[in-house]
Amino acid sequence: MLGKGGKRKFDEHEDGLEGKVVSPTDGPSKVSYTLQRQTIFNISLMKLYNHRPLTEPSLQKTVLINNMLRRIQEELKQEGSLRPMFVAASQPADPLSDTFREAPPAFSHLGSAPLLPADLVSTMPLESCLTPASLLEDDTFCTSPAVQHDGPTKPPPPALQAVKDSFSSALDEIEELCPAPTSAEAVAAEPAAGGDPKAQPGESDIHKPPEGLPESRTAEAKLMDPLPGNFEITASTGFLTDLTLDDILFADIDTSMYDFDPCTSATGAASKMAPVSADELLKTLAPYSSQPVTPNQPFKMDLTELDHIMEVLVGS
Amino acid sequence: FLGAGGGNDIQWCFSQVKGAVDDDVAEADIISTVEFNHSGELLATGDKGGRVVIFQQEQENKTQSHSRGEYNVYSTFQSHEPEFDYLKSLEIEEKINKIRWLPQKNAAQFLLSTNDKTIKLWKISERDKRPEGYNLKEEDGRYRDPTTVTTLRVPVFRPMDLMVEASPRRIFANAHTYHINSISINSDYETYLSADDLRINLWHLEITDRSFNIVDIKPANMEELTEVITAAEFHPNSCSTFVYSSSKGTIRLCDMRASALCDRHSKLFEEPEDPSNRSFFSEIISSISDVKFSHSGRYMMTRDYLSVKIWDLNMENRPVETYQVHEYLRSKLCSLYENDCIFDKFECCWNGSDRQVQFLSLIVMTGSYNNFFRMFDRNTKRDITLEASRENNKPRTVLKPRKVCASGKRKKDEISVDSLDFNKKILHTAWHPKENIIAVATTNNLYIFQDKMN
Repeated sequence: MLGKGGKRKFDEHEDGLEGKVVSPTDGPSKVSYTLQRQTIFNISLMKLYNHRPLTEPSLQKTVLINNMLRRIQEELKQEGSLRPMFVAASQPADPLSDTFREAPPAFSHLGSAPLLPADLVSTMPLESCLTPASLLEDDTFCTSPAVQHDGPTKPPPPALQAVKDSFSSALDEIEELCPAPTSAEAVAAEPAAGGDPKAQPGESDIHKPPEGLPESRTAEAKLMDPLPGNFEITASTGFLTDLTLDDILFADIDTSMYDFDPCTSATGAASKMAPVSADELLKTLAPYSSQPVTPNQPFKMDLTELDHIMEVLVGS
Repeated sequence: FLGAGGGNDIQWCFSQVKGAVDDDVAEADIISTVEFNHSGELLATGDKGGRVVIFQQEQENKTQSHSRGEYNVYSTFQSHEPEFDYLKSLEIEEKINKIRWLPQKNAAQFLLSTNDKTIKLWKISERDKRPEGYNLKEEDGRYRDPTTVTTLRVPVFRPMDLMVEASPRRIFANAHTYHINSISINSDYETYLSADDLRINLWHLEITDRSFNIVDIKPANMEELTEVITAAEFHPNSCSTFVYSSSKGTIRLCDMRASALCDRHSKLFEEPEDPSNRSFFSEIISSISDVKFSHSGRYMMTRDYLSVKIWDLNMENRPVETYQVHEYLRSKLCSLYENDCIFDKFECCWNGSDRQVQFLSLIVMTGSYNNFFRMFDRNTKRDITLEASRENNKPRTVLKPRKVCASGKRKKDEISVDSLDFNKKILHTAWHPKENIIAVATTNNLYIFQDKMN
């Protein structure tokens, strides 16, 4: 049942994620295809958000990245299984989380093959390629140093207008990803979300990150996180506006993944997520968030944060 | 590697290297464009700091018949300064995106240089004489007291040390909302085009306050934008014909006689995608980074991320030739996407037309990573990879061909893909219009290589 996906050889590990073209219909190859797609999706998002604010970003680059995101989203829409709680008039379900749920944990034995080729210009461990957020902090990774040194060299907090632009465009971006549930449905559906994500720890076994975020967590975070206070997306990317603001702010937040207490994790000792400390996750989120995040509950959507964001948006 | 004249291979030798030696590259020194003038006597470079440096070839020394003249600095000037767009709160980079020379009409030289927003026409002129013997001025310029003048004399020109002056003669501004990627001078030598991401404008060289929009692909709703213009060039012989390439790998040929706004192309060149090579990155790597007409205008060459394609203007549905520049990168596209290298814009150029070649475009040159550059001979179908590096480069020593080992056992002298330095990229190369002399720009150095003469 291996289908057309080629047998992976240990010394050809760099082909693991991107060597041969993987058709989405093949058996175990489908897993790597979906993970590959997810990785690329995350990388694309990060590229749009992480830009040196001094000069205008390249329109060509922005357009190409947006096309990539749209294509992936189209594909996911077509692949279709809708998440039950996200029922809306014109919007499809949140495709990314569903994709993850489809990936059966049975393929954890493939975990020996890293998903991304050895990075060509970086000495970073392979597994951390799966956590694009953390790469922002690694100086050795990116060839263009300007992109990396966002911390100390960033200009003072952007003017109100820039904040508004970055918020609205970043929101547009998030809106692009999330379907449009009504707030009532979102609230009612939250308990129902509890069961499914348990499959996700198994999935993360496949790529076994020793540190940093598992792939699925990154995807969820990207979809569901509140907008960080200092998004640097520029106005030129603000042309994805499929959903309304409400859909984003009141979207269902699946927080069951974020409880890293080994006792409550579904797979218990088998979960590779247990050793990940909340600090690592915090560190990963740090570039995005200006809000202090409590170590115990790093990813719970805080209503006060939402209010704050709303205030900024409405006030500006 | 067969030379165009037939029979003799071109053997490339190191000739000179210009620029700082340190590994620590100052950002302003990053070379962003390289261009020979029409005679090849002058070689201009533009950098990220907005400066233009022009090198001049020495007159051939009859006693030193084994090498052609060396290039020495002729003029350096600040072409563009950084500006600030107050409306968008963004800086406008002073980086010189393109330089194009005008053919020489008199003693002075003219070139167009452009950054993201503004094109400038520069006049470069020599001064080797100056008037001396004024009646009312001292030699140092101070005015004499007229009452002390008792005799009159006629000022005469006396020789002085050569001074090369660059002065901006025209400034073509405020015509581009988006970033200019190309300028191309028409064969009528009166007009030129400038292209940004979404529009192409036509200018008259004498008129700066007005330009005509000839292509506009901006959608009414920017949310529908999926394609941008990446390069544009006038046909070398037909002054109403030009082409422009896109981020989706298409080239459109337009005729300005058809309508004022050339939104409808006369020809559309596009190669159908090879399904076996399909990947997430297919669109990105198909984006064309450079387009160059052949000398005759019968063919054009396009550069996308992995290959160079030669198109016959009479055949729109596929290129007549395709050359793989660094196919071994195809399996690394995800990493190259992550580190942004996949967006690198490599240029390409044709050979010059020397005595033997006579306006035939037979050799293609383009850059790659690790300071490698590649040449493809259309006749023999042979290709060569060379390296621009200060090591192993002695004048008149033939450059050693390099080879990248894609997978499997690495032979001696081969370099494995994983050892390539992706920070060392050659994006800009130029070929002397009349001789086998090439200029290759690494990040901040300019290498000049010559054909080994017998």
